[in-house]
Amino acid sequence: MKEIPRSASPSLVQMEFESDLSQSDEYKSFRSTVPLRQIVVDNDALKVWKLYDAGPRSVRCPLVCLPPVSGTADAFYKQILPLTARGYRIISVEYPVYWNVNEWCEGFRRLLDLLEIDRAHIFGASLGGFLAQKFAELTCNRPRVASLILCNSFTDTKVFNYTDSSPVFWMLPATLLKKIIIGRFPRKLMDAHIADSIDFMVERLDRLSQSELASRMTLNCFPAYIEPQKVQVDVTILDVFDESALSYSVKEEMYKCYPSARLAHLKTGGNFPFLARAEEVNIYIQVHLRGFEGTHLCASDAGTPVER
Amino acid sequence: MASRKKILLKVIILGDSGVGKTSLMNQFVNKKFSNQYKATIGADFLTKEVMVDDRLVTMQIWDTAGQERFQSLGVAFYRGADCCVLCYDVTSPNSFKSLDSWRDEFLIQASPRDPDHFPFVVLGNKIDLENRAVSTKRAQQWCHSKNEVPYFETSAKEAINVELAFQTIARNALAQESEVDIGHEFPDQIKLSNDNKAKQDACSC
Repeated sequence: MKEIPRSASPSLVQMEFESDLSQSDEYKSFRSTVPLRQIVVDNDALKVWKLYDAGPRSVRCPLVCLPPVSGTADAFYKQILPLTARGYRIISVEYPVYWNVNEWCEGFRRLLDLLEIDRAHIFGASLGGFLAQKFAELTCNRPRVASLILCNSFTDTKVFNYTDSSPVFWMLPATLLKKIIIGRFPRKLMDAHIADSIDFMVERLDRLSQSELASRMTLNCFPAYIEPQKVQVDVTILDVFDESALSYSVKEEMYKCYPSARLAHLKTGGNFPFLARAEEVNIYIQVHLRGFEGTHLCASDAGTPVER
Repeated sequence: MASRKKILLKVIILGDSGVGKTSLMNQFVNKKFSNQYKATIGADFLTKEVMVDDRLVTMQIWDTAGQERFQSLGVAFYRGADCCVLCYDVTSPNSFKSLDSWRDEFLIQASPRDPDHFPFVVLGNKIDLENRAVSTKRAQQWCHSKNEVPYFETSAKEAINVELAFQTIARNALAQESEVDIGHEFPDQIKLSNDNKAKQDACSC
């Protein structure tokens, strides 16, 4: 295990993004204050986990954010800045190429080991939420997950109807994979915040390599399901009532799997409410994490503002 | 029948600390009551599906901290509210007097499009107690003066009128929600026509 010095990849810092959100002062402020860390946890030095770790390091049980298929670690910048200002430690993670869920979980476990995080609250968006549940399931005998916030997520990959083609994703060209992903985004008229969130995510999607895309699509679609009885932590299900990539039946299935979960609905928000409805999503995150205040699973340094 | 759009109603409960906001919510959602008092920190919410005139809607009820010092969630919290429930304790005149400031607070923070017709509901809680200090008439007068706000006297402990009150809350919230929906999605068209010329002529500076 080793950490790659940041200077090793100057290209990442110089990347020019043009969408409205990427050009916003908030995003620029985020990029200029929170460093991108790159960490290798496997023997394969090409498997680089990228992450932003912000907020007080003294917090041993932070909130870890996992992006959806199209996302990168900076997709959660609207959570990182406001929530660290309130004393929370937030780590936004971007996963390298893994071709199956168990390997991913093993890699993620090593990442937590390396960061000296015993247990983490996980905010997982779509695929990120599926992986978070899998990780909670696979670590149920030696818990590494403190709680879950599942944002527009799912419990069975068959909902995407790509389980048959998932074994060949690895050989499809990147353009085709992008087309499959973008094809799931709504195309009708939408409010400006949702449109901005899609622009931002499409921009990130464009920067992903063929193998990154193919591996994420494989994780997303290869036949697998969650055994919720093994996920024995507090769950908040966060979803939107407008048109998102997931149908009502998928959401209903989610509610059934976690009957005692707190249901954090948003009237609207599209596929990426953490960008399009960040303020409301942040309120839900705070309400969720507040339940752990005063315990050893607290994700903040008792709410006092800190220097980022 | 084609599946209709799922509806989410956001309801916010406000009122002084200790009037029973959390208890009312718990009685309505979980049918439970506890005598033990625990101050709400910040805000908390529960969801419940209810039928309103043959329509299944999801009510999201936000319980807030009465103590202002815990109010840390900011204006985003009030955004998109469909109904505001103002609570007071019938044994505490001060909590009744505060209704004005809670109503103002809501209107300032949420800034609804039509503040005069935004649905409020007032609940006078703790009618199971003997030492009542605010008369029904006084409360009704206040509600009357605020554009006929519906008023209910409740007991979260004895489950009196709680169900009825929340039914009204849901119905009024739904009416508000449907109203907001119409024409809300997109701003009015900007028409580019010759009219602009006339304006330009008027101001040549």
